[in-house]
This record gives sequence, C-alpha cells and structure tokens, in this order.
Amino acid sequence: MTVVKVEELEKEYGKVRALRGISFEIKEGEIFGLIGPNGAGKSTTLKILATLLKPTGGRAEVFGHDVVREAEEVRALISYLPEEAGAYKNLTGIEYLRFMARLYAKDEEKAAGMVELGKKISDLGNRLNDKVATYSKGMTRKLLLARALMVMPRLAILDEPASGLDIVNAYTIRKTIKRFAREEGTTFLVSSHNMLEVEFLCDRVALINSGKIIEIGTPEELKEGYHAENLEEVFMRAVEPAGGEES
Amino acid sequence: MSDFWVLARKEIMSLIRDKKLLFGLIIVPLIIYPTMGKVMQLGMETAQGETHVVIVSFDDGPYGRVLVNALTAAPNVTVTLINSSSLQGALNRAYQEKQNVLVVIPRNFSDSIEGNRIATVEVYGIFHSIGTGVRESVSESRINAVINVLSEEIAKLKLKNLNVGQPEAFLHPVRAESRSFINHHIVNASPSLVSGVLTSQAISLPLIVFLMVTITAQMAAGAVAAEKENKTLETLLTLPVKRTTIVASKISGTAVMGLIAALAYMVGLKSYLGSFTTETGVTLRELGLGITPTGMLLFALVVFLTIVFALSLAMILAVFAEDVQSANTVVSSVILPLAFPAFILMFTDINELPALARYGLLADPFTHPILAYRYALSGSYGLMALSLVYLSALSLVTLYFAARIFSSEKVLTAKISWGRKKRKSG
Repeated sequence: MTVVKVEELEKEYGKVRALRGISFEIKEGEIFGLIGPNGAGKSTTLKILATLLKPTGGRAEVFGHDVVREAEEVRALISYLPEEAGAYKNLTGIEYLRFMARLYAKDEEKAAGMVELGKKISDLGNRLNDKVATYSKGMTRKLLLARALMVMPRLAILDEPASGLDIVNAYTIRKTIKRFAREEGTTFLVSSHNMLEVEFLCDRVALINSGKIIEIGTPEELKEGYHAENLEEVFMRAVEPAGGEES
Repeated sequence: MSDFWVLARKEIMSLIRDKKLLFGLIIVPLIIYPTMGKVMQLGMETAQGETHVVIVSFDDGPYGRVLVNALTAAPNVTVTLINSSSLQGALNRAYQEKQNVLVVIPRNFSDSIEGNRIATVEVYGIFHSIGTGVRESVSESRINAVINVLSEEIAKLKLKNLNVGQPEAFLHPVRAESRSFINHHIVNASPSLVSGVLTSQAISLPLIVFLMVTITAQMAAGAVAAEKENKTLETLLTLPVKRTTIVASKISGTAVMGLIAALAYMVGLKSYLGSFTTETGVTLRELGLGITPTGMLLFALVVFLTIVFALSLAMILAVFAEDVQSANTVVSSVILPLAFPAFILMFTDINELPALARYGLLADPFTHPILAYRYALSGSYGLMALSLVYLSALSLVTLYFAARIFSSEKVLTAKISWGRKKRKSG
C-alpha cells in the first residue's frame, strides 16, 4: 500500500525556490530516508507532508488524503518530530506525555497505554517526574521521540532525529527507531544530512540537493550503481555534475 | 476530557508554574501595592499624631493669652511656651528642640483686636529634613483651624458687645444648602460629595479596564510567542486537533489567568489608593445610581467581549513575533495606544465632545466597558445593547482572523524582520 505519494512538489519562499518539482512514493512499513545537505529542501518536504506548509505547486498525499485539502485527516494519521523541537518547560516529562496522549487517545484507558509506551521508549526512568526545563538536549530529544512514537502513528515523520546529539544519545535514538519500526511495522519518513545514520536506518533513500531529487533507491542499489563504499560517496558523485547550489 | 479542556488546562498549568509571571502579575500587586500603601498610611498617621507647637508671645495684652489657652485646649496639640527676645532666637530654639511649628504672637496682637484692626499671627513650619513635609503641613492646618475658630469667637464677642442679637447671623448672613439632582431624583447630598463619588468611579474604572486589557493581551501574546521561542509550535500544529480549538483554548487559558492577574492588580491598587483617599461615606445606591441585575449582566458581557477582542488581537500580533520579548513589544505598541483613549473618559463626558472625537472614542473598543458602566448606572440598556452588537462584530472578525492565521502557514513563516533578514526553512 502506498503511504506517501509526492508528485512534482514545488515550494517557493518569495524568490527562493526551495523545492523544484520533486516526486517519490513511500510504501507501508518502509523506513524512507530523505538525505541531503543543509538547505537542500528536506525540512520543507517534511513540513508540507506534516501539513505545516502549503506547496506552491504539485501535490502530496498521505494514505490517499491530500495534505492541503484534507489536512485534518492527515494529522490524525501522522506524528511529526521537528528538527528543532522543544517540550513545555513548565511541565514534567510524564505530564508532557499525558498531555499529548490525551489529545490522540479517545479514552483514558488508551491514553494510559500510550503513556506507558512513552515511558518505555523514552527510557528516562524517574527523571520523567522532573520538569522538562531541567533536561539535557539528549533527554529532551528522547522525550520528544517517545511522544512521537507512543501514539502509534500510521506514518512517523522525523526531521533529523539525532541531530546535534552526542554519539551515545544519537545511537540510542537510532536503535529505538529501528526497533520500533521492526516491532510495530510503522512507516517512517526520516530526513538527515548524516549519510551513515541513513544507511543504518533506512530501507530506501532519496538523495535531495538544491530542491531536486537526484536519486532514489535502497542503500545497496545506490552504492552499487555509483561504485561507492558508502552513501556519502554516492551523494558526492551524484551531485558533482549539478554543482553545489543551495536554496 | 475534550481536546479544548486538555489544551486549556495545559495553558493554565504552564502559566501558573511560570514563576516570573506569577511573581510579576499576582504576587507583586497583592503584596507590594498594599505594603506601599501601608507605609504611606503610617507616614500620614505619624504626621497626624501629636503636633508639637512652640509659642513665643511678644504681646502683653489679654488676647495673646486667650490664643495660647485656645491652642493648649486644642486636641492633639502639645504647646510649649518659650521666652525669647527675638524671632531668630525663637526659631533656633524650636529647631534645636525638634519642634514642628512655631507660632509667633506679635507685640501689637491685643492692641489690633481691641482697635478693631486685623491682628496677625505668624506660623512657621520647622523643616528638619527635605523629606515629604507632611508633618509640617498637617501641623500648620491644625493651627490655622484653631486660629479660625478663635477668630470667629472673638468676632462674636465683639458683636455681642455691640448689642447684636444674633452674632451668628451677622457673621454668616447667607448660608447655602446644597443638594443634587441626579438621574431625575433629588439627593440630599452636596454636588461636591456626589462629584467625589462619581470621580472615584470615573478614575478607578478606566484604570481597571486598562490593566485588565493590557495584562490579558500580554499573556495571550506571551502564550503564542512562547510556543515559537520554545520550539513547541510546530508539534502543536501537527496534533490531531482543530486549529480553532487551539486558538480557543489559548484564549480561554490566558483569559482565566489574565483575569486573576487583573483582579490581583485591582485589589492591590484599591488597597494602595485607599491609603490616601478618604471615604465619602455615600454609596452609588444612595445616590439612586444602583445597577440592576440586567445592567450587571449586560456590563459583564461588554467586559467579556472586550477581553475576547484584546486576546484575539494579541494572538494575531504575536504570530509576527519570534519570541516572548518581541511579542510583548509588538502587543504593547498596538494595544497601549488603543487602550489609552479610555483615560480621556476619566475627565470628560463623551456626549460633550465634538462629533469626530466622540465617534473616534466609540470606535475604540476599550472605551466601551467604561461607557457601558455609565449606561448601566443610568439604565440606558439600549446603548449597552449597541455596544454589545459592535463588540460582538469586532470580536468575531478578530477571532476569525486569529483562526485563519493559525490555519495558514503564516503562523510559522510570518515575522517582523526588525531589520534582520528572514530565516527560511531548509
């Protein structure tokens, strides 16, 4: 089943063309990676799919729902983790999870189940009883990832999930995503400029540069096609003819 | 629990737990203002306590002694008689002995009275510091009161000696009996007394409206801007909740906290101002100006709609700010000029203004609670209904735009650049 369908998607911020007609599809249960340098258009694509931004051209669908015309239906199916996200500092970690669970769950029992799952995913133990204001960057990110996954979304959209974290925290976050995808069968759309991270996480990837998708395939296919040892080399070889223009 | 209540509860909880906000908006007005008032009151009470008066008399006649006796008998006045050959010597001694007032009875005091000429008494306030001078002022007025009574008594005595039957009628041949005609009723209270009651209402209500509107608007703007500053807005906007519910819950949550803060300011300010003003002892009801339940309901609705307008306007403005600080600046620069004309109604009746100014003030929604209160007092419910129609239309328009802007991507991308370049998404 097709979860995400993007066709000739365009986005302009005034005179800046952030997306220049990108197209891709994501199948159910896939971990799909959007990789590229800063300013390539990754966050813009994710924000359009998360119904935060409206495209200036083309179309995008999530489970058959148009992200512009049926934004509310889309929001009921997805969970979005922004790149630079925060949690409410005056709430404790557990209060934050409860608050979010109540907005997704239709009844208290379901909400309690979500919170239990959130506690497990966050792995913050007793620190969940402390105010978010006292958390380190890594702890906040774990809490936010737990929030995004505990609601059991049909599609999880994660923008740079391990960005700015130390090796240990980044590794834990990636392991959590991978385990959750395997156990729950959730579809993931992950953006990253860390090629190694994507190689570890994703079933398929799209290389994006200057608002255009230049390659799509499994990491193995891409490496083979470009005779490269890793995705970093694939990316550099793929963008060489196009140059390094940034949006 | 509905999405609205979950979100509104979170808003209130976040605001209550914000120590800076709680201190500035609730603790300060409830503690600082009454404390300041009490300190001032204590100063006034100390000043109104015992007045120490030094008298030096250069008069040998009988009236000088009469004046000394009158002052000695006056309440709250301690009289010390001193002997001095010169005014400067008397002043120096009064200063050294930390006295507040020196009364000088001149040499020709009794002669002047007996010769039917005006006798003069010199009163010197002795300032020991350059503080408020309240004590010296109170002492002087107390001495003047004693001298006035004495002056009148001497006049009566003289008139009796001239065989005048009713010295009182001779001294005060005309007496005014003041009453007031207000709201088609004669009230047995002087115009100045009625004016005092009305003035206290006229001053306090605009002040309360001004505080209420600015505080609640700042809180609403802060609640929106904090979402941007703390990077929680994007997550909030992708939750499976209607954008109108998000706007409504933010407005309700901040309105509750804003009203609590406004109440704290009202209580604090009332206590502070109450330290200076003396009660007139006349209530509005005694003046035939009570508010009926209908009037109260209409007035409450006008206040409610004014707050809704202020909150939704503040939320729209806050969308253009990047953080709480810039949100406060943006909101202040729009709401304050709008709220300020309400103060014009402290001193004027809107019906006495030129047509242009009148319509200008009526167009400003923040003048309506003040006008509505006056209409409620006079029972002009038709005019209140017009206010309600106008405020409802205005609130609906601003609420619609607030909901629209929250449903669009402008909530994420709109910002006033403050001279910097716009940041774009990657």
